[in-house]
Amino acid sequence: MAIRTIEVREPVMARNNEIAATVRTRLRDAAVPAFNLVSSPGSGKTLLLERTLAELGKDLQLAVVTGDVQTQNDAERLAQHTNRLVQAVVTNGACHLDARQVETALAAIDLGETDLLFIENVGNLVCPASWDLGEEAKVVLFSVTEGEDKPLKYPKIFREARIAVLTKMDLLPYVPFEVEKAIGFARQINPGLQFFRTSALTGVGMHEWYTFLRRSARKAVAV
Amino acid sequence: MHEMSVALEICRMAEERIGPEALPQLVEVGVEIGSDSGLEPESLRFCLEALLSAPPFANARPMLDLRAGDVLRLTYLELDDGNPDD
Repeated sequence: MAIRTIEVREPVMARNNEIAATVRTRLRDAAVPAFNLVSSPGSGKTLLLERTLAELGKDLQLAVVTGDVQTQNDAERLAQHTNRLVQAVVTNGACHLDARQVETALAAIDLGETDLLFIENVGNLVCPASWDLGEEAKVVLFSVTEGEDKPLKYPKIFREARIAVLTKMDLLPYVPFEVEKAIGFARQINPGLQFFRTSALTGVGMHEWYTFLRRSARKAVAV
Repeated sequence: MHEMSVALEICRMAEERIGPEALPQLVEVGVEIGSDSGLEPESLRFCLEALLSAPPFANARPMLDLRAGDVLRLTYLELDDGNPDD
C-alpha cells in the first residue's frame, strides 16, 4: 500500500479566529454592535431575547442569529417578535456556534439596515467560551435556580464575557440563592463584569438592560 | 474547552485539507496537545477515535503528541491511497 503524509502544522483554532476577525471587521465597518449570548440550557436566553426584540424593535432594527443543536424552535419563537430575519443555525450535534456559521448567517442580513445584532449561542457554558465569533462582547446569563457558584465552576466564560445577566429574578423568593454572593464569585473571576438582574417574565430589571442596549446600538437612542 | 468540539474542528480541518472524497483513505491524524491547552488528552483521543472510525472516515486513528505549554494543532495527516507501492 502507498502511504503518504501531509504536513499540516496548523493551530486548531486558527481558521476560526481568522474568520472571526473578518466578521468583526464587517460589523465594525457597518457600526453594528453584536452581542453573543451564552448560558447553560434553560437559563432563559430565548425569553430574554423575545422580550428584548418586542421592546427594542419599536425603535431599532434588530437582527438575530440563533443556534441550536437540533430544531428551529428558538428561531420560530423569536421570529414572532421581529419583522427582521432570524437566522437559524442548526449545529447538528456541535455544542457551540463557530465564526464560519456566523459569517454565513450574516450573508443574509442587511447590516446597513441593522442597529443591533444578537447571537444566541447553543446552550452550553463550556465550548462557546473558546470560540470567537467576531462579536463585540460575550454576554453570559445564569439564573437564580442554578446556584451562586456557577462562575467558579465555569470560570472561562465569566472571564471571556464583558456582561453578565442574572435571570429569573422572580423566582428568588422560592430558591436558596444569594445574589450578592453570586455576583461576588463572578467578580472574583472578572472584576470588570457588568451585571444586570432581570426577570424577563415579570419585567423586573429589564429597563436597565434595554437602556444599556439602546446606548450600545448603532443609532444610539436617547434614553 | 470541550473535547468533542475540538475533535469536530480537527475533522473539519482534515476534510478541508484533503477533500471529502479522500477522507476514507485517512489512516492517521497527528495532533500536538499541550499540557496547558485546557484539554484532557484521553478525552480528546476518545472523541477523535469515535469520529474517525465512522463515515465519512473509514478507520483512521488519532496520534496525540503530548507537549508542554498551550499548543493545540493538527500536525499531519497520513493517507493510504490503496495503490501498491512503487
